Amino acid sequence: MSHDEAFAELAAVALDAVSADVAGAVRAHAAACPECGPELAAMEETVAVLGELAPSAQMNRGRSAGIRSRLVVRARAERELHSVPAAGPPDISRGVASLTGLGHKTTPSGQRAVTGETKRVSPSDPMHAPIEDRPIRRMSSWLAIAATLALIATGAQLLRVTSDRNAMRARLATADTATSPSDSMTVALNQKDSMIAAMTGPDVKVVPLSNATAQPLGRMMWNRASDDWIMVTYNLRPPRPGMTYQVWLVTDSAKISAGTFRPDAAGRTVMHARYAMAPDALRAVAITEEPEGGVPAPTGPMVVSGSA
Amino acid sequence: MNPPRRELSYSTVNGSNAEDVVLIQRMCDADETALGALYDRWMRSLYSLVLHLLKDPDEAEDVVEETFWQAWRKASSYEPSRGAVSTWLLTIGRRKALDRLRARKRNREDPVGHDRTFADLPSQAQDPSEETEGSELRQHVLAALQELPAEQREVLDLGYFKGMSQTEIADATGQPLGTVKTRMRLAMQKLREPLSMHREVKE
Repeated sequence: MSHDEAFAELAAVALDAVSADVAGAVRAHAAACPECGPELAAMEETVAVLGELAPSAQMNRGRSAGIRSRLVVRARAERELHSVPAAGPPDISRGVASLTGLGHKTTPSGQRAVTGETKRVSPSDPMHAPIEDRPIRRMSSWLAIAATLALIATGAQLLRVTSDRNAMRARLATADTATSPSDSMTVALNQKDSMIAAMTGPDVKVVPLSNATAQPLGRMMWNRASDDWIMVTYNLRPPRPGMTYQVWLVTDSAKISAGTFRPDAAGRTVMHARYAMAPDALRAVAITEEPEGGVPAPTGPMVVSGSA
Repeated sequence: MNPPRRELSYSTVNGSNAEDVVLIQRMCDADETALGALYDRWMRSLYSLVLHLLKDPDEAEDVVEETFWQAWRKASSYEPSRGAVSTWLLTIGRRKALDRLRARKRNREDPVGHDRTFADLPSQAQDPSEETEGSELRQHVLAALQELPAEQREVLDLGYFKGMSQTEIADATGQPLGTVKTRMRLAMQKLREPLSMHREVKE
């Protein structure tokens, strides 16, 4: 493209009123042309001033705050994603998935912040503090409240847990008696036993989960004696690109994040969390679609819910 | 003693561009709090523009969020020599809004499209709190806009608010493509005069 041709198109390029091919050629010329470069910059600045002529409008404060919060949380999650060292905490979902023979599951970015520990957490901390008042590293805390979520496996049916457990037990019985107690198979078996125990017993409360048309899509099982929470979903469509599902435990005074997840191709999920809550505090369980990494408070559409 | 006179700069409407550049640098260093600060400074201007273009608050909010997210992801691509940070942000936002307008046009879902013209713009700042030096520049640009010949203003309307290409404008107005290009260039040159004058005063 000649100088004259490029110069004639500068205004149109600044206004984005030419094809991408033409714009690319003009910009390539302007980048090296001492006359067209500054002229194009001035034209673009003029276009920006035109933008500032628009009548001043005020976005709804709550929605503006929501957008701001999502942006900062997403940015923080992305930064942490890129700053996690290779030898960092294990990805529990990958570990357990391999133990149960279910294959690898893609872990949502925000899940990195969730540790594999199953310690009990207080419902009071970081969720209720304004996000900007918290130290950066607290990002992991609000996810951790999430009932110190241990996203154990995706794509498993709970009955399969039992059969897997039995098969493992049989294999263990024939294994070398010198097998270490810390052997991975033993660990897996203990985890399965723990899940089965959590789903049974007189203190287990079951919350059916369904969508707006009452289509059953899963259930949450809460063992109020052991504070175990196990959620199963089925036929759940995948979240939109860049989004993830987030589970909320709803009480009269708070919506407590129980972590993020992504169902497998068949829409199945099994999540296990441990979180102490007063036996009569739960009002509902909800699943919303949120930006990857999760958010401190629900902002997206409610995909699934169930009354306690 | 009189307070020192602040220099005229449209970027002083929301603070100096130097402060914005520092925020961009912090964003390049993955400081997400800088993104929040940049949002606080420019959300209103950006929202005002995209709402004016789209006439749909929900879509405008989506564009605002997408724009700031792109700013975060592409912070390192910002070049101070090519204009102020606000210019960069508003350019990203306007392009995203135009993409949506064009998609609507493809789907013929834009019944309010003809309402967006420069004639809709206020003749002066509506909010007294906005009576800053920056608004003075806007008033000059607005005055220049109103002095444009009708045919140049029409071309600018169609290009700026409707997102039409020069070819589409030629088809819509029945004018030769060359005439459209000339009118668009002349209109833009007249509008940039207040900006050039402002720069000279500043320097």
